Amino acid sequence: MKRNAFQRQNILPFASTTMLETAADILERWRQQKFPLYLFLGLCFNLVLAPAVFAATGGDLSKVQAYWLAGLALVTVALSIYLFFVMFVPEKF
Amino acid sequence: MQAPQDSKTRQMPSGKRDTRRHTPKANMSGLYQRAIREAFLKLDPRTTVKNPVMFIVWVGTIVTALVTIDPNLFGTVQADPGQQRILNGLITLILFFTLVFANFAEAVAEGRGKAQADSLRSTRSEAIARKLLPDGTIQEISSTELRRGDQVKVIAGDMIPADGEVIKGVASVDESAITGESAPVLKQPGTDIASSVTGGTRILSDELILNITSDPGQGFIDRMIALVEGAERSKTPNEIALTVLLTVLTQVFLIVVATVSPLANYVQAPTTIAILISLLVALIPTTIGGLLSAIGIAGMDRVAQFNVIATSGRAVEACGDINTLVLDKTGTITLGNRLAAEFIAVNGHSVEQVAQVALDASIFDETPEGKSIVQLAEQEHQAKTTFDSAQAEGVEFSARTRMSGTNLPDGKEARKGAVDAVKGFVRSRGGTIPDQLDAAYEKVSRLGGTPLAVCQDNDIYGVIYLKDVVKPGLRERFDQLRRMGVKTIMLTGDNRITASVIAQEAGVDDFIAEATPEDKIDVIRKEQSEGKLVAMTGDGTNDAPALAQANVGVAMNSGTQAAKEAANMVDLDSDPTKLIDLVTIGKQLLITRGALTTFSIANDIAKYFAIIPTIFAAAGIGSLNIMGLKSPQSAIISALIYNALIIPALIPLALKGVQFRPLTADQLLRRNIFIYGVGGVIAPFIAIKIIDILIPLA
Repeated sequence: MKRNAFQRQNILPFASTTMLETAADILERWRQQKFPLYLFLGLCFNLVLAPAVFAATGGDLSKVQAYWLAGLALVTVALSIYLFFVMFVPEKF
Repeated sequence: MQAPQDSKTRQMPSGKRDTRRHTPKANMSGLYQRAIREAFLKLDPRTTVKNPVMFIVWVGTIVTALVTIDPNLFGTVQADPGQQRILNGLITLILFFTLVFANFAEAVAEGRGKAQADSLRSTRSEAIARKLLPDGTIQEISSTELRRGDQVKVIAGDMIPADGEVIKGVASVDESAITGESAPVLKQPGTDIASSVTGGTRILSDELILNITSDPGQGFIDRMIALVEGAERSKTPNEIALTVLLTVLTQVFLIVVATVSPLANYVQAPTTIAILISLLVALIPTTIGGLLSAIGIAGMDRVAQFNVIATSGRAVEACGDINTLVLDKTGTITLGNRLAAEFIAVNGHSVEQVAQVALDASIFDETPEGKSIVQLAEQEHQAKTTFDSAQAEGVEFSARTRMSGTNLPDGKEARKGAVDAVKGFVRSRGGTIPDQLDAAYEKVSRLGGTPLAVCQDNDIYGVIYLKDVVKPGLRERFDQLRRMGVKTIMLTGDNRITASVIAQEAGVDDFIAEATPEDKIDVIRKEQSEGKLVAMTGDGTNDAPALAQANVGVAMNSGTQAAKEAANMVDLDSDPTKLIDLVTIGKQLLITRGALTTFSIANDIAKYFAIIPTIFAAAGIGSLNIMGLKSPQSAIISALIYNALIIPALIPLALKGVQFRPLTADQLLRRNIFIYGVGGVIAPFIAIKIIDILIPLA
């Protein structure tokens, strides 16, 4: 495994090498896994979208319900983008 | 195209084709248990995302599971939460089983291929190879250590350690492990067909020196295992086109259902998220979406059951679109072994003299034709060899000279071969061509036989009549192909008159006489330039370019490595007529896919009539509930149960294929629209009504 910048510059001399390697490994895997990143960004965007939904429903929904409904709308849009992707690059599926 | 001397080693498998199968038999026990396990493992979203229709169902199942836990998650529901939870739970369960059934269909189809791969793998056990070292000594090593270019010695009882070419020795080899044919095959060097051996087969007698032609893991059986297992399976053009169509439909229904909610609220008929997801799943083409890959895998499997290994699903599918079949005459249209039937004397010679020269010219000829000439001359005309054969020299047949013969010890040259070739030979020796030769040539040709001229030095003695027999039942099969719009072209090295007689007798559409191997590729290119798809068979190295050029190239397993590598299918039985069956299988695959797509889309009408009028009854469209379904809940559950159950119900049809009938494209379209289109509209009306009556939902 490649040594990361922290290890090379010995910035954290008190941390054991094993801990640093584990952290670097997690970071490496995090970069490879795109889905958790998209999920995180989606949830963050939902924080912006949910108040808009809450306002649009005129108080019929609770804040939690508005958050879930906005999430469902996001999932629907994501599915639609996914279907367009399948239409244009079908050989990947 | 093989030189005639090779034909003696081609052995046709015994028994009816339908009754033959791979040996060892693929073990299908436990297939369904494995498929059930696989069906659940395939629920992994990374697998499901490859199938857009089923992925929508997967996401729908997750959302309905959430509203089962909390019915008010996306908004307050007016109905009793307990009842709503039960309804949502039922919807979740049915959607989940829809996914499992679709995965099960694919897993069953894949399981069959894997079972076949396992049976092939059992033949690929590690063997000890006797490697010949440069100093001539033998080193015993594992077969996995062999590399391309190594030389090995195999003796009677040994398993052949890897694919190779025979460079020395003559031996009989049991190829039943890959062909299913129990009769041993003679292997010897120098001939196109008989010199190729396959790793995993067993030598029964004598010994051979082999030159290894494949590295470990790259052998013929290894490639076959990878193919039948589906490891190299990629989507065919038709599958891609259908995937796009299904995705477009899914997209349209997703947009429609996503925008239904405001309209429903406007007409005072609010719906829940679970009902909207049910409507979406009922409308998207889940039946064909769930069965699509199973149909493709089953098509490959059907080809494999015919003892043919296809390099890709694309090749199997292309068989169904074939417009032109290019067929060799000898071995495909006629029974390969032509036999001498008569000697015809010309130029003032007697029949006995013709027999004597024919015998002299054929003494080194080991082909069935050559042997039959010797037999006819010796038994019918009492001809005898008058020279010491050890002192004479045999002249082999070649595609270029188109004749063979013997250089006798006294310096005379006896030759037999194509009439034109022998004429040229006689002229080159200063001889003249008698008029009777052309008359004899025409006489034999008009009988559908092959005339071989016989000469000695500059003197033409006469003509040998080689009798050719057209395989029984071919005319009917060519008629079937014609009805399906497939044109057949026969290629033969014979003269034009013989070719036309055989062509007429067999019922082919066109023929090319006096064809050279190069003509084959020219014919294919010409047909392809007219936008047609061409299929052909071949076994020799000189067939390899044409096999690569053809849209479907079927190489004989008895053929050379070059032919097998150039082709996109390999026939393990080495039966050239199987090409006709492959066209049938390809068409069956396309028809099955088309039929089930029609059925799946036609089903939508009934599902639409089941769900829409009941959930929007408050908007005044309750009269459209023509099935008289009890309630919105019952209508939704009935439609979803039908939607789920139709997938396993159609698995046998997807795997077996729609029964093939030799009809024109128009007739097939009309028939399929009637059965699967009209049937696809009516069947769900009846089934949904029955389910509605049976389920205890008010």
